[in-house]
Amino acid sequence: MEDLEENTTVFSTLRSLNNFISQRMEGMSGLATPGSTQSGLQSQYQQRMQLEEQAGQIHSKSQLLQVEREKMQMELSHKRARIELEKAANTNARNYEREADRNQELLTRIKQYQERETEAENKLKEQMEMNKSYKKSMETMSKKLQEKESKLAEANETITVLKGKISELQWNIMNQEMQMTSQDSQKKELMEQLDVQQKKWQEASQQIQTLQASQSLLAEYEQKIKDLEQKFSQQEHDALIVKNMKAELARFPKMERELRQVKEENAYFREMKENNGLLKEEVEGLQRKLERYEKVQAQLVTVELENEKLLGKLKNWEKLEQSTGLNIRTPDDLSRQIVALQQRELVLKEQNSTITNSARILEKARQQLQEEILRIQSQLLDEKKKREQHEALVRRLQKRVLLLTKERDGMRAILESYDSELTPSEHSPQLNRRMREAEDMVQKLHAHNTELEAQLSQVLEEVGNHKQRAEMLEVEMKVLKSQECTAEPSTIITKEEVATLRMKIEELEAERSKLEEENRSLEMKLEKLTLQGDYDPSRTKVLHFSMNPASLAKQQRKEEQQQLQEECERLRELVRVLEGGGSVPANLEGVGSFQSPQEIA
Amino acid sequence: AYGINSILYQRGIYPPETFTRIQKYGLTLLVTTDCELKNYLNNVVEQMKEWLYKCIVQRLVVVISSIENNEVLERWQFDIECDKTINDQSAPREKSQKVIQEEIRSVIRQITATVTFLPLLETPCAFDLLIYTDKDLAVPEKWEESGPQFIANSEEVRLRSFTTTIHKVNSMVAYKRDSVP
Repeated sequence: MEDLEENTTVFSTLRSLNNFISQRMEGMSGLATPGSTQSGLQSQYQQRMQLEEQAGQIHSKSQLLQVEREKMQMELSHKRARIELEKAANTNARNYEREADRNQELLTRIKQYQERETEAENKLKEQMEMNKSYKKSMETMSKKLQEKESKLAEANETITVLKGKISELQWNIMNQEMQMTSQDSQKKELMEQLDVQQKKWQEASQQIQTLQASQSLLAEYEQKIKDLEQKFSQQEHDALIVKNMKAELARFPKMERELRQVKEENAYFREMKENNGLLKEEVEGLQRKLERYEKVQAQLVTVELENEKLLGKLKNWEKLEQSTGLNIRTPDDLSRQIVALQQRELVLKEQNSTITNSARILEKARQQLQEEILRIQSQLLDEKKKREQHEALVRRLQKRVLLLTKERDGMRAILESYDSELTPSEHSPQLNRRMREAEDMVQKLHAHNTELEAQLSQVLEEVGNHKQRAEMLEVEMKVLKSQECTAEPSTIITKEEVATLRMKIEELEAERSKLEEENRSLEMKLEKLTLQGDYDPSRTKVLHFSMNPASLAKQQRKEEQQQLQEECERLRELVRVLEGGGSVPANLEGVGSFQSPQEIA
Repeated sequence: AYGINSILYQRGIYPPETFTRIQKYGLTLLVTTDCELKNYLNNVVEQMKEWLYKCIVQRLVVVISSIENNEVLERWQFDIECDKTINDQSAPREKSQKVIQEEIRSVIRQITATVTFLPLLETPCAFDLLIYTDKDLAVPEKWEESGPQFIANSEEVRLRSFTTTIHKVNSMVAYKRDSVP
């Protein structure tokens, strides 16, 4: 409030300032016009300065006021705080006093309580002693009590046991009574059921009797019905027959009329048919004539064409006659000529074939001969080689012979010289031995010589033989070569034989082909039959296991069929019985059992 | 036996669920699990082995006939040519197991392939095994003689053959020609 008041003083001073300034400005403006501007300015300046000084003063005053305000506030707050402190101190002091009082009270109480405690303890002790004495007495009492309790317990047990027995007995009695009652009730129920069932049985028997009676009646009725139905059917049948007869009778006159009409029509139609037949025959005859005429015309045309062709041919023949230069006037001559030509051709062909055959044979012979020639040449060469070898051997042997003869001559000369020398001296047997040895040598040499000469002679003979053979072969070659040239005339002689042989060959070949075809067909059949499973019964037989699956399957099938047939028959019997309402007991029971549940329900 | 099992499976003589797969000759083959059938096949095969060793068997035929009218519908025929010069003393002939198995495999594959052109077997069928043997063979117990069971109007097809150097087997199938062409 003081601040506000101070502020209001400031605002009021400021307002007064502004008012003063505005007044002065008005005054100044009123005074400014009479031309003393400089003094106005100075005064204005001075006024402004004064104003500013005033404003500064006011400002400082306001500041002062503010500071004073603040100071006042501070002092107020200080006072307040002091007051509060004093209050707080007072309250604290009071509290302190109160607590002190309380403490004293509590102390007094504690003392009282302590005194009481001591008293209580004393009492406790006394009571504890009392308690001990009491406990002892209690123990004795408890022992007595336990004894009594044990006795009591025994007594109780006996009591419970007896009670249990009693209860069991009672329970048994109850059960038995219950059973009695239940049995009585069951008995009653059973008696009631018995009565009910007896009644039912009586009713059932009565019903059965009624049923039987009704069934018999039914059967009778059904028979009657069947009879009546049969009669009815017969009557219907008769009625139908009667109706048919009536209808037929009614139809009879109509039929007679129709008959007459039909007969007349028949006669008419027959006449018409005969006429038609005659007309058809005429038509056919005319058609045939037409065809014949047309054929004849066609034949005419063809004949004319043939005529022209024949004329042309004739002209050709005539031309031929001129062109060929042969003696041909008629076609017979031509044909004869042609036949003759053909025969010549056949003959020539035969000759040709024979010549070719002979040529082939000769070629084969030539080849064989060439082979023989080659062989013989090789043999010749071999023999020449052998001969040369033999000649070489001969020369060697001759040389040996010469050498040996020379040796012999030498040895003989030596021997003669020895003889000439030795005969006077009559030397030792050594010389005789040497003589004998020399003679033996000479004999051996002689033998060897003779052997060699024999070998030589043999070789020479062989050589001679080979030469002869070679000469023979050469001769044969020449002969064969000559034979090649002279082969032709010989073939003609054997031509007939060859032809016959050929014919035989052809027949044989035809037979062979037929036989081959038959063979093939037979083999095919055999193959097919073996494929189909055929066999030779004389060499094979067919075995199979007795218990084989096919036979088992057949047996099973038969058994199934039999079972099915039996079932069928049974079912048929049942059907018949059911249709007839039969007297078979099994069916009756079935029927009765079917009916009784219905009654009970 | 494997060929017979293949024929039975392929022609549907027995239901497919009664067959199980085994590996043989490098192929997956189907053999039956039905005890009675296995028993029957074992009996027949045992007897066949004995006869094959003695070179008495000439032919084995699987006949498939309809149960209803006993009509033969198919005939699988295996001709066996046995080299009778072989005996226990002669040296074993060299032919590799692999080559023989390859040939058997091709025959079984061919059996499977022939099913494509054979007519369908509409009616329930049963099969029988016939063995063609020498005439002078003693018929063993449980076996009996039977007819050859030809097909009246048949088409025949030859299949591959295989040889083990001692036996040569030629196979073929004959089936009833369909009435509708």
